[in-house]
Amino acid sequence: MLGAYLPIIFLVVIAAVFGFASLCFSSLIGQKKPSEVKLAPYECGCEPVGSARERFSVKFYIIAMLFILFDIEAVFLYPWAIIYKKLGMFGVMEMAVFIVILFVGYIYVWKKGALEWE
Amino acid sequence: MLSLHSYLILSAILFSIGAIGVLIRRNAIVIFMCVELMLNSVNLTFIAFSKYLGNMDGQIFVFFVMTVAAAEAAVGLALMIAFYKNRESIDVEDLNLMKW
Amino acid sequence: METIFFTIVAAVTVLSGIMVVTCRNPINSALSLILTFFCIATLYVTLDAPFMAAVQVLVYAGAIMVLIVFVIMLLNIRSEVGRRYTHAGIIGTVVGFLMLVLTFNFLNNSSLTGAKGLITTDVINKIGHTELIARSMFTDFLLPFEITSILLLVAIIGAVILSKKKI
Repeated sequence: MLGAYLPIIFLVVIAAVFGFASLCFSSLIGQKKPSEVKLAPYECGCEPVGSARERFSVKFYIIAMLFILFDIEAVFLYPWAIIYKKLGMFGVMEMAVFIVILFVGYIYVWKKGALEWE
Repeated sequence: MLSLHSYLILSAILFSIGAIGVLIRRNAIVIFMCVELMLNSVNLTFIAFSKYLGNMDGQIFVFFVMTVAAAEAAVGLALMIAFYKNRESIDVEDLNLMKW
Repeated sequence: METIFFTIVAAVTVLSGIMVVTCRNPINSALSLILTFFCIATLYVTLDAPFMAAVQVLVYAGAIMVLIVFVIMLLNIRSEVGRRYTHAGIIGTVVGFLMLVLTFNFLNNSSLTGAKGLITTDVINKIGHTELIARSMFTDFLLPFEITSILLLVAIIGAVILSKKKI
């Protein structure tokens, strides 16, 4: 049973070793000639402007919040997708009720302009 | 095969860590994260019992707990943002408007 | 083999749980909480609940923690400074430990009784975990499932009202 998850464990181990090893090797065998320009944070080749720790807009939050709530809807669809052929019309109806109620929320969000990027 | 007890003990330890965090921290977001930790430890108990009793109902309950946690995250964090706009802080000791 | 695996995962879970409480920087707390969620997902796999493990990673580690990290960055919260261990801190720790002792006592003096259900590891492997969940979710738990949609609707409306400037 657990043997089926062996590839995932390998993947995790390889990812951890790769990340750790590349950090170690670059600090061990790399050349270190720091200068003002080299130590500056990389910002698409431009001169860095201002602090990286700046508050950003609440618009991002609204999008992330909507993503969570509709993500839950998608999670409910997975088990339904497996069984809907056995449930037949009954299954379609119960999922239709669920989705229609959430669609009301979607229309609300749309009409209130929460999806617009002002 | 592992016994049910080992899972229950782990879940009790996690729940206590979460409870201690809720009691001693003052940052509202960290308190929120500790509440999530407590919810997760209860979910672990549900799934452990569900396996050892051979019954699926506990896992369905975990599903609903996760839904409630997601709704709670959306509304709770929106409340924190609204609070921060008013007070410029999310320290729970500044939430004292209705304190006796 | 299974016991060793469980011990390692449980140790990582508890350590990262302690990190959530003790880290001063909220971002570090959030990252340790993600590690805790992954460990709990691993434990779900050992409990023959692979679908719940997937949902745990998808919903908790993938969605809720994204929102929490977003809010930490949005409010630009710095590490806590100043006094750390107040009276409330000591009392809180004592209360938490008492709770743990009480739970251990409760666990040691109890045993599992009650009827065993029909779902064993063999049944799960034969039918499939997701299908078993779907069978009870869409027949026995139909009403809670429909009510969930109303809960999500309320959450959508509440969060939009709270976070939007002009409604």
